[in-house]
Formats: sequence, C-alpha cells, structure tokens
Amino acid sequence: MRKILIAGEGGQGIQAIAEILARAAFLESKQALYIPNFGVEQRGGVSLAFVTIDSQPIVYPKFEKADILAILSERSWERIKNYVGLQTKIIKGPAVEGGKSSNLPPKVWNVVVLGKINKLGKVISQENLIKALEKRFAKQFEKNPDLRKLDIRALTEV
Amino acid sequence: MKQFLMGNQVLAKAALDAGAKIMFGYPITPSTEILETWAKFCLKDKSLSILQTEDEMAAGFGVIGACLAGVPAFTATAGPGNILMQDAFVMAEALRIPMVSMIVQRGGMSTSTVIYSQEEVRLTCFGGNSEGFRIVYSTFNLQELYDYTLKAFQVAWKYRWPTFILADGYQGKMMGEIEISNFELPISNLKPILTKGANLRNCYNLEEEIGEIIVNYSDEYNKVRGEIEEYEEYQVENAKVILLAHGIVAAAAKVAVDELRKKGGSIGLFRPITLRPFPAQAATKILNKAEKIIVLESAIGQLAELFKAELFGLNTTLIEINKPAVGFTPEEIIKTIVSLQ
Amino acid sequence: MDNLPRFPKCYKAESKPHKFCPGCGHPIVLKMLGQVIDEMGIADKVVFMVDIGCSLLAWDYFDLPTTQTHHGRTVPTAVGFKMADPEKIVIAYMGDGGAYAIGLQHTLTTCLRNNPITTIVVNNTLYAMTGGQLAPTTIDNEVTTTTPGGKTEFTTLKGPELLRTIAKPEAYFESLKNKVLSKTGSYLKNKVLSKTGSYLARGSTDKPLVLKQYLMKAIRSQMAGNYSFVEALSVCPTNWKTDAKKTIQRIQELEKEFQLGEF
Repeated sequence: MRKILIAGEGGQGIQAIAEILARAAFLESKQALYIPNFGVEQRGGVSLAFVTIDSQPIVYPKFEKADILAILSERSWERIKNYVGLQTKIIKGPAVEGGKSSNLPPKVWNVVVLGKINKLGKVISQENLIKALEKRFAKQFEKNPDLRKLDIRALTEV
Repeated sequence: MKQFLMGNQVLAKAALDAGAKIMFGYPITPSTEILETWAKFCLKDKSLSILQTEDEMAAGFGVIGACLAGVPAFTATAGPGNILMQDAFVMAEALRIPMVSMIVQRGGMSTSTVIYSQEEVRLTCFGGNSEGFRIVYSTFNLQELYDYTLKAFQVAWKYRWPTFILADGYQGKMMGEIEISNFELPISNLKPILTKGANLRNCYNLEEEIGEIIVNYSDEYNKVRGEIEEYEEYQVENAKVILLAHGIVAAAAKVAVDELRKKGGSIGLFRPITLRPFPAQAATKILNKAEKIIVLESAIGQLAELFKAELFGLNTTLIEINKPAVGFTPEEIIKTIVSLQ
Repeated sequence: MDNLPRFPKCYKAESKPHKFCPGCGHPIVLKMLGQVIDEMGIADKVVFMVDIGCSLLAWDYFDLPTTQTHHGRTVPTAVGFKMADPEKIVIAYMGDGGAYAIGLQHTLTTCLRNNPITTIVVNNTLYAMTGGQLAPTTIDNEVTTTTPGGKTEFTTLKGPELLRTIAKPEAYFESLKNKVLSKTGSYLKNKVLSKTGSYLARGSTDKPLVLKQYLMKAIRSQMAGNYSFVEALSVCPTNWKTDAKKTIQRIQELEKEFQLGEF
C-alpha cells in the first residue's frame, strides 16, 4: 500500500495531480482512492490531497502517516506536519525551493511534483501516468497544444 | 463496467440509472457536483430536466411537485440546506410522497466546514415536526452510493415514504473505482399521485383527526419495517467486543476489526445500513451477546441515540467514542480499542 | 329555481356549503375560476394547489386534483409539477402572505424564469386565518393586530407592478371585449398569442366579471407557455370588522390604492 499526501495552497494544482495519480493507478488495474481536503478559500488557504494506492480495495480515504509527502508551499507545513512519520519520504515542490530546482514555468510545477512522486514511489508506469494526464487536461490541451508538450516535459524531466 | 468516478458523480449516475427524470437543487458544498453532473446529463438526454432553484425550499417542493405528477425526481443537499429542506421533507411524510434526497453531510453546527461529519443523522431521520416516517440509508463506500441510490428509488415508490441516501463529504468527494451496471431498473408502482378524485391536505382541524392519521402511519411503518431494515454484521460470532458504527466510520472500523483479529482480538462490527427504520431487533440480538459495545461516530451520540432505548436493560457495557465533525482512521480506532481493554 | 346561478360543474358538491366566512372574497374568486374552467372545457387538465391561510379551505372546493402545500411553497410545488407534466394546467392559489412574504422569492423567481404556471393571489391586506396581522399589502395607517397603532412599517407591496419589472417583456392580449365566448371554449382555436410574454393583472372581487376575464387570459397565457399572475383584491369583513356596506366601501377605497387592470 502506498499512502501519498500532497499539500500546498489553493490554486497550485494539487487536486489535479492527485486525481491524475489515482486515475493512472486505475488504468493500471490497481486499486486507488483519492480524496481532496480543503476549506472554503478558492485561492490561498491550505489544499491537501490524500491518494492511497494498493492491490486490494481501499476502504478509508485518509491515513495517519504518509509514505510520501509532497509539499508545494511552505505555508502548508503547519497543517501537515502530523502526517510525517519516521518512514515518510518528503518531496519539495519548486516553489518551496525558491523556484531554483526547475527551468519550467510555475504553471506546470504541480506536474513536476507529480513526476517526482512517481519516480520516488515507483507507483505507476509512465505510460498510464501520461494517459491519465491527458484525460484530465483534455480540454486545456485541445485549446493549447503547446501546454501538452510542456506538461509531458514536466512529467518526464525528473 | 468499471469506471473511475467521484462519489457525487456516482450518485448522479445512479439516479439516472434508477429512472429519475428531474433533479431540483441548490448548490451547496460538498454536494454540488451532483447537480453539475446532472446538468451535463441533461445536455445529452432531452428526456431529463434540471432546475437550479432559488433556495432549498423550492428544490424540495419542486421534487414533491414532480412526484405528484408521477415522475421520479430527486434532490441533493447538505448541512444548512438540509435544514431548509425539512419543510419539504415533512410534507412528503404527511402526503406520502416518494421523494428521494441525497444528503452529503458536511460539518455540523451552523455553517461549519464544507467537508465532513456525521452530524446530520438526527436531522435526516427526524428533522420534521413529526415522528420521522422516513427511510434513511447510510452508505459506506462508492459502490454503496450507487447500489443504494438504485434501491432508494425502488423503495420510495413502493412504500411511499421520503427516502434518503445519507452519505458525507468524504464519500461525495473521493474518487475511486466503481462497477456501474448500466442497465435501467424500472421503478414499480410508478404512477401519478395527484389525479382526479385526489384532494390532498396536510392541515387538519381537531386533535383526534390528526392523531388517528399519525397512529395509522405509525402502524403501517412498523408493519413494513422488517422488509426495509438492512444491516451488516461482520465477525460478530463469539466477539467479546462489538463495534457499532455507520457510514465511512464503519469502513474504517472494518479495517480495524481485521487488524485486531489478526492479533488475536475477539472483536466484530455491527453496521446499521438503514438508520431509519433502525434494525433494532437484529441489533439487540447481536449486541446482547457481547460484553462490550463501542459506538464510534463523528457526532455526539446521534447514532447511539437510535438504539439506546432498544438496549435498555441489557447487561452489556456501552462505550461511546464521539468525535464530532472529525473522521476516524483505522489506525486510530485500533489504538482506541487497545487502550480500552 | 332555474333562474338561480348554477354551481360551476367543476365544483365538488360534497364540500358545499363552503367553509369561508360569510362575506369572504375567496368564494367569488373561486366561482369565477370555476366558470372559466367550465367554459374553457379544461377540467380534465387542471391541477389546483393551495397555500396555507384561508386559501387552504379550498382544498376540497373543486372536483379537480388538488393539494395543499406548506406556507409559501405552493408556487415551487406547481413549478415542479408542471415540469413533470407540461400538459396539465397548474394553478397556484394563495393569499398575500404566501405570495408576498414567506413565498416572495418563489413568486419573483418563478416570474423571472417565466415558468408557465398561473399564480392567483387573493389580497385582503392582512393575514386573515391567523387573526388579522400585518401583511406586505397592508396599507399605510391600517390597523392590524400587529400594528395596533396603524401601519408605519415598510412600503405597501404592489405585486403585479413589481413583477412587471422582472417579467418576460411584452404585455397583454388583445382585449376580449368584442369576442363572444363559446361554451366549449372554441375561441382557443383563434388564439393570437404569439406576441405575448408573461401575463400580469390585478382584478377585484368587487368587479367579478372583469376578474373572470383576467383569469381566463391568465390560463391562456399558461397554455401559450408563459407565466401568468392575477392578484384579486378582496375583502375580509371578519378581520376588517366591517359590516356589508363598510366592506364594499373599503374595497372600493382599496381600488384607488391598488390599481386595477393588466400590467
């Protein structure tokens, strides 16, 4: 079982990548359960996503300690520090590292993190991850094909 | 066919497959996606309609209007919307309207959070100025959201009590795999209610008039409740400790039971699926054999209240673990049980 | 005996004599409505819904499918029914409380949406069944049980005028003045309704035959797919505490405050 917690602020695209991750697992005939967790602010605030992937059906969508924690905004640290256990592996998003760790524009930094999560956790095949990405952003890619190239780069350029 | 869907999408799809034709609703988190998904269905299928109303009262009464015309209709709401809809729900009890409503529980007490709780149990079961002649299903995973919605439409039109799917914001917003049957289940007993010869009222003049009607309803409700009650008993044979929980808390409790049994614990779970009518006879029979009953709920005593009267006089110890508006992970439940031994 | 006016055929004989107070305006409105339904030959299509208040006494008035609803909720129930069965003619019948206070947002929104139902509001400027309290249509300085010193609260609500500001534009039908109404309602075949939007009118129980025309037009409006609304200025001698003469005097004074006509 893999327990992945993604944390950041509203507007950083956390829910999008969580959904992609869970859907990719589904496409790979694994069991996955994803749940968002956030308050009423549309921007800012704290945005969390819990993704659990396993070979057995998952019964409860939240967990105590994450196997992998991806943090996209320094400000959300307060809210998620209780989910960090001794075994938790932490991934920092480019915003947390002052934007130095990526050459790509901020709008795809969430996908960069997605790529890092998958590389670290070896969760899903790259192929299914891309399939899930394309399904989630189908409308956006149709309007702007360059965005697709950018997102694939973000995903694969780890 | 397996699909990857959000709970709220599942609810909308289930209503469609159940034969519903109209949805009335007012946007309120965490139920809004049900209305939005139905709106998308309406674009593709011209036999369906949707009305986003000016408030929840209009939504509830709109459903009643459609049901009076013999068309299966439904609504969805949460929290403060659930409160406003009680106006409609209690009239549906009085006039025996088969309205189906999905309650996606959010935080309790006033506006609260938009996320989760189990604090609308009392309201959904007994929120009218009445005796709660309602049918309430408490689901505990994505598959049940689908299966019990199909059932709700069948049961509502058969027995003519307002019927509810009581879910919560976790179930509504979580995304996972679900099996969609894709075949339509025709509703039996589907016919217009407000026809020639029907002059319906809910206002009466003297005490005895309405008293008699309420007693008749109560007798009828008690007569059919055996056909409607549902529950799940899990590993309760020879269990010294039995957990009592509903909804997603029961899902976590099930995992806890498995883990504790692996470690040699003598523990089981009783999960009521219908909170109304509550499976009281079955509960008493099963819980009577345990030494300890531990109730777990994301509220203060709302589930416990439903059966405490039935258990009065039993020799079993009852412990209530209340976490209003906050969920229970399986790990947490295990720790709690262990600390209570 | 043959000279006496007949009950409308769509009346329910078992519920007569009715339960309204002597001198009440409701039976006048209901009789006009009954005659309209008879003359248009639509009894098998009409669904009648009543609110809480004196209108609820009409629950068994007609031999038509009828339901009471909760206070202020007659309009949304009518909307739901009409969406489910557009072939029926759905009438929501209520008082000034149900339409303009507790049900005001439903009245407004339904007009805004141009839902094709017909709302009939019997306005006697107070809440009669509960004993004569303040209503949105209580006029200035009017004494009610909750304004014992005379009303000084909010401005008097003028329903059709208010609705005209938000209703689907284009006003009313050609006048029926010169048309002869056939008993079987055959004039319906000659309807010239394509240019009309929502139909809004205010009549009076003091001029019942004019009110009857408005009710007929309102139903035609629904049949053409539009919202319709008729306020019937009415009397309540019981709560006004007026004798017959003063009752008629008072409604004639009210007709100066509440303009009659089509809006």
